[in-house]
Amino acid sequence: MIIPMTRARLLGPRDRLDDVLAAVQDAGLVHLAEPVPIGGLRPLEMSPHEERESRHLRGLVRDLESVTALLPAARTSPAGAPAFAAWARQARRLRREVDRLDARTREIEEERSQLARFEQFIHAFRGLLPAGNGARTHSYHLVLRGEDEEAVSRLREGLAKVIGDQFMLETASLPTGERAAALVVHAPDAPRVERLLAQAGIHELPMPARYAGRTLGEVAPELAERRKGLDRELEGLAVRRREVVGAAAPELQRARPAVEDRLLALAARERAATTARSFVLEGWVPTAGFGRLGRQLRDRFGESVVIEAVAQEEWQGSNAPVVLTNPRLFRPFEAVTRMMPLPAYGSIDPTPFVAVFFPMFFGLILGDFGYGAVLAGLALWLRRRGAPGSTLRAVAEILGACAAFTVAFGIGFGECFGDLGRRVLGIRPLLFDREESLMPFLGLAVAIGVVHISLGLVLGIVNTARGHPRQAVGRGAALAMLAFIVVALLAAFDVLPGSFFTPAVVALLLAFPVLVVAEGIIAPIEFLSTLSNVLSYARIMALGTASVMMAVVANRLAGSVGSVLVGVLFGLLFHLVNFALGIFAPTIHGLRLHYVEFFGKFYSPGGQEYRPFSHWRHSGIKAA
Amino acid sequence: MEVVLITLSAALAIGIPALATSWAQSRIGPAISASLAEKPELSTTAILLVAIPETMVILGFVVAVLIMLRAGG
Repeated sequence: MIIPMTRARLLGPRDRLDDVLAAVQDAGLVHLAEPVPIGGLRPLEMSPHEERESRHLRGLVRDLESVTALLPAARTSPAGAPAFAAWARQARRLRREVDRLDARTREIEEERSQLARFEQFIHAFRGLLPAGNGARTHSYHLVLRGEDEEAVSRLREGLAKVIGDQFMLETASLPTGERAAALVVHAPDAPRVERLLAQAGIHELPMPARYAGRTLGEVAPELAERRKGLDRELEGLAVRRREVVGAAAPELQRARPAVEDRLLALAARERAATTARSFVLEGWVPTAGFGRLGRQLRDRFGESVVIEAVAQEEWQGSNAPVVLTNPRLFRPFEAVTRMMPLPAYGSIDPTPFVAVFFPMFFGLILGDFGYGAVLAGLALWLRRRGAPGSTLRAVAEILGACAAFTVAFGIGFGECFGDLGRRVLGIRPLLFDREESLMPFLGLAVAIGVVHISLGLVLGIVNTARGHPRQAVGRGAALAMLAFIVVALLAAFDVLPGSFFTPAVVALLLAFPVLVVAEGIIAPIEFLSTLSNVLSYARIMALGTASVMMAVVANRLAGSVGSVLVGVLFGLLFHLVNFALGIFAPTIHGLRLHYVEFFGKFYSPGGQEYRPFSHWRHSGIKAA
Repeated sequence: MEVVLITLSAALAIGIPALATSWAQSRIGPAISASLAEKPELSTTAILLVAIPETMVILGFVVAVLIMLRAGG
């Protein structure tokens, strides 16, 4: 459910505003609202001094984030008054040092990668590297794009045209897929050759700055030594970085909560509206926590600060923040609801319905005792790895519920790793055999669709009854028409007495104009989409049948292999694939049935998250 | 001959929607992957968009089953 909120108004003398904000921050219950301009009240703007302070603090937070990113979060703030100026100086100094070390590390890594490229080239030309540019010759080290010989042939032809046969060209493949080429020409021909290379777009291997003007042959012996030197320097830089950050970061880490708290307090001041002598703050408080907040403020400020509840007629429910709260068993499924935009305040939280139907759909599709047991084991393992309140823990608990339904339906369908349980253990289905009874399974899936969609329509009626009674009537008419269609179909297929058919059709025809009058001419089309939504639940049967058939095929294939060992391994592999699919497909389609078919009938998104003004790190939602 | 026609009809009932679904998903997949790279918060929409065309093949499967059961006896 969505917990009820109270709009609270705090009034007090202006010179106590900062103290009141500190008390509100300590309480951590009030989601501050935009200042309301009433009478002579004006929103409180930041003074130039506060703006400067805010700017400096934001800079300090950036510095703190960059230098402490690699360290675990601190749990306590330092004792004594916050020393913002000292922390800012320390953080700036540390950040500059870390930036300098990081810049040098990047330079070295770049040079290392350049050297590595050179070494590939040298390796490719081992033994062919000329000793250097003599007085009469000039050598070039070229990189030709593409592995094909055509690039080399084109170069040879071009050289022959320009300088005849007065050149030496050797090529070799590089691991990068390019071709390395060493070209030696007479010194007087060099300008013409360079012009040709420029026109052909052939580039020389760029020499690192420190080897400028020298040839590869000359620098080759130095490269290996240089690389070792760079490795040593990199290691030294990493050690230095750890030392620098390790020495200063813990204190700065402890400073973070104080800095963030001050920033939050400065931002909160802007939510106040003031006169020359007084202030007004408004915000939402969970109704259950309103009394506690009042007591805390009274204890601290006596009668000088007043807190009152704003009458509900004065504020619009849709603006209030939303907190979902559900029984322990349903709480993990809030993660499924939260994947959609939050429901608007005053509307219905679908979590309890998701908690029942999602694992049920999952179980109906997978429906296998063996797979369910494996899934339960997986859920237990994930639960142990996830911290309380974490997403992993929620996922594990959702999987646990899905596993329970899978086991239950597995017993109902008499399936344990497909038909293995039936053949080896003699298990018999309690409900029906999914391999054979396709029509009953289809009927069950569509019947579940009728129930689920009808529930959605009922929730839609409840949701719209207060604000939009006309829509509520329209949804009621749609619900009635759906019921009449079901009755007529059951009567037509002799499930119900045939005498039900005519009254159901007549009632259907009578409900139709009500639907059109209530929701407009588009309503019949929407009703058709509601019917197709019901049919969409046939996917439960389709995926369920596919799942059991895959398992049966795994067992048959395992049995058909000559060797027992190979057969068992093959069967296990096939079951593993089916199990992976068996988790994936029901999840995706279960979510789809909820988000598209079910939520579409009643869900009103648009709620804003409840973010109480509280201390940093404790800014999460607190129990009211 | 009748058995061949029934089997062919069932195969077409599932085959054509399967092709349509795969074509739709081949267009949706790259588009939603690109969107997710820029806006990871669209993951719910991604799930829905990928799952929506699967309705075609699922209903095709149901029709194929009905053909096999009703016509095939």
